[in-house]
Amino acid sequence: MTDIAIKVGHLSKTFRLQTERRNSIKEMFVRGKSRGVHDFHALRDVSFEVPRGSTFGLVGHNGSGKSTLLKILAGVYRPSAGQVLVDGRVSALLELGAGFHGELTGRENIYLNGAILGLSKKQIDRSMDQIIDFAGIGEFIDSPVKVYSSGMYVRLGFSVAVTLDPEILIVDEIIAVGDEEFQRKCFDHLFELRRRGTTIVLVTHSLTLAAELCDQGIWLDHGRPRALGDVSDVIDGYLLDVNAKESAARAEADAAAGGEPGDVGDEVAVPIPRQGSGEIRMTKVTLHDASGAEVGFVTPGEECTVRVHYRSTRSLEDVTFGLAFIHESGITVAGPNSMQDDRRYDIEPGEGFVDFYSEALPLQPGAFNISTAIVDKGHTYDYSDRETELRVRADHAVREPGLTRMLGRWSAEPSLPVEGKA
Amino acid sequence: MTSESVREIRPSVPIWRQWNLISNFGRRDLKAKFNGTLLGWAWSLVVPLATLAIYTLVFSIVFRMVPPPMGNGKDGIFVVWLFCGLVLWSYFSSCVNGGMGALLGSGPLLQKIYFPAYAPVLGAGLAVGIQSLIELGILAIVLVVLLNVSWTWLLIPLVLALFVIFTASVATIVSVMNVYYRDLAHLVSVALQLLFYLTPIIYNPDIVPLSWNGIPLRAIVEFSPLSQFVELFRAAIYDLTTGDLSTWISVTIWTVVALAGAMFVMKRRGGDLSEAL
Repeated sequence: MTDIAIKVGHLSKTFRLQTERRNSIKEMFVRGKSRGVHDFHALRDVSFEVPRGSTFGLVGHNGSGKSTLLKILAGVYRPSAGQVLVDGRVSALLELGAGFHGELTGRENIYLNGAILGLSKKQIDRSMDQIIDFAGIGEFIDSPVKVYSSGMYVRLGFSVAVTLDPEILIVDEIIAVGDEEFQRKCFDHLFELRRRGTTIVLVTHSLTLAAELCDQGIWLDHGRPRALGDVSDVIDGYLLDVNAKESAARAEADAAAGGEPGDVGDEVAVPIPRQGSGEIRMTKVTLHDASGAEVGFVTPGEECTVRVHYRSTRSLEDVTFGLAFIHESGITVAGPNSMQDDRRYDIEPGEGFVDFYSEALPLQPGAFNISTAIVDKGHTYDYSDRETELRVRADHAVREPGLTRMLGRWSAEPSLPVEGKA
Repeated sequence: MTSESVREIRPSVPIWRQWNLISNFGRRDLKAKFNGTLLGWAWSLVVPLATLAIYTLVFSIVFRMVPPPMGNGKDGIFVVWLFCGLVLWSYFSSCVNGGMGALLGSGPLLQKIYFPAYAPVLGAGLAVGIQSLIELGILAIVLVVLLNVSWTWLLIPLVLALFVIFTASVATIVSVMNVYYRDLAHLVSVALQLLFYLTPIIYNPDIVPLSWNGIPLRAIVEFSPLSQFVELFRAAIYDLTTGDLSTWISVTIWTVVALAGAMFVMKRRGGDLSEAL
């Protein structure tokens, strides 16, 4: 059996919510039934164990109970039911510099904060130089913290919490503080703590960070545990759920948009004015997965089909279709054209579609738009500028930067320099 | 998980091991109070001495209150006699007010980190206590100069120890309950005013009528724990007597009751303050 640092058993937390605050003496006497009171179950029957020296991630959408769980682990709230046991000294980083007092100097605040974290003066003295050094605020350490810049403030707060050698560290969304340099320092330090065997419990909305830092995790959904175990499985499950929800929401929105406009004379009418002569118009663009089912978003590296639907008012010959994939930042990532495959289509009046098929979608997660063009040797029938949204979603955290995934291979082993050339 | 080190999240550290935290809160309060003021620490003397001067002016000169004679047989000096009572009173009222403010002020912190709710209250009490000690020092010097010293001064630490425990307990109870029922702050300010006049600080208890319209006024005044503490303290430091044994027993009971009440309130209501703040 592995060594357990934190053990949470059947933990539930219920808050009594009042629409109107009734903390008055009157309430003590007037025990009338208040209409505004109802219970809110922030956590329901959550159980997990965190092995010593491992890093544990909490994921879930906003309001899923992550912060409540963190506060219970930090001892700020008491469980309504169930049990939380720890083995080791807990240091909570729920807010950087929470215990600072503006009139005190940085040094005095270190003593105060250390005392709040439950340390003796001797222990604080021992870490003092290290804290000051880590915060990197120089001579400001002996100025009142009210004159600090916000960056210096959080740096000092972070330094105090992590340098005082915690055995168990509870961290809430600390990622967005300080400048780039300090952020890297924080991450390096978190990794260092992890290497040294500190047990870390982490809440972050950056799934990439969670995947990188955590060993195990739990996914909370409205206070209930949905998945528990290896962090990549937990994150994958969470992402799939988020994706499914978004897909459903988009389908609903599309259905609500509905309603086809009628044609005017020779031209196909469209809701948004377009360029081109209009004998044939793109009516919509749909996305399809490997099975051919229509989807609301596409996944990197998966099979995918972009289907361009059209309506034509007459017979046309040698029509070329073109697509442009444009990232939300305005960069055109790719522009496949049916001419490349030497495809020219003969179009009959009425409706139809052509497909652009990709074996492995080379786009990275992000928001893209699709422009479509229907042309014939220099004559433009129809051109839609970024009318279709294309969402690329991963069902796991993607660590590779960039807009597209470059295809290629790495060598199997490192090689020595070639003689006489290097 | 080794069985002996496993525990609930909240460390159950006994109060005497919390000294570092309490003293840090106290130091914070003191620094925050005097930082940025021109006179700084001098204010901790100016304010009580000014109060003393005002009361002396009003009650000694205008109302012609006659103080009891000193323990060394000389005529009583009103300002010294008043000072004895006022030191205790200002400690008590500042502790209660300071404690309520300190706990409410710690609200944002209590929602981030767990520490026992009494720590900021006692820290505020510590800050007040240091100022009271300075006042006490001045009082002692004055009495030494007046040659009003006796072995009964050895009883002073005892009565003060009981008084500090009593005051800290009351401050803790009021501060914690004030988080749940914010009306208490208003109620307390009225109650403190009433208590001030109910306690023989500016007047000699002998002038209180035994009964007024059937209300046993004198008994009410003498029953008040604050009156008993002031009586014992004055007996030891001013009258140079040991005080009545019955009063000693009575203040001990008051202290035990207050302490038990504070422990009960901390146990029942002290744990979920972070949700109510």
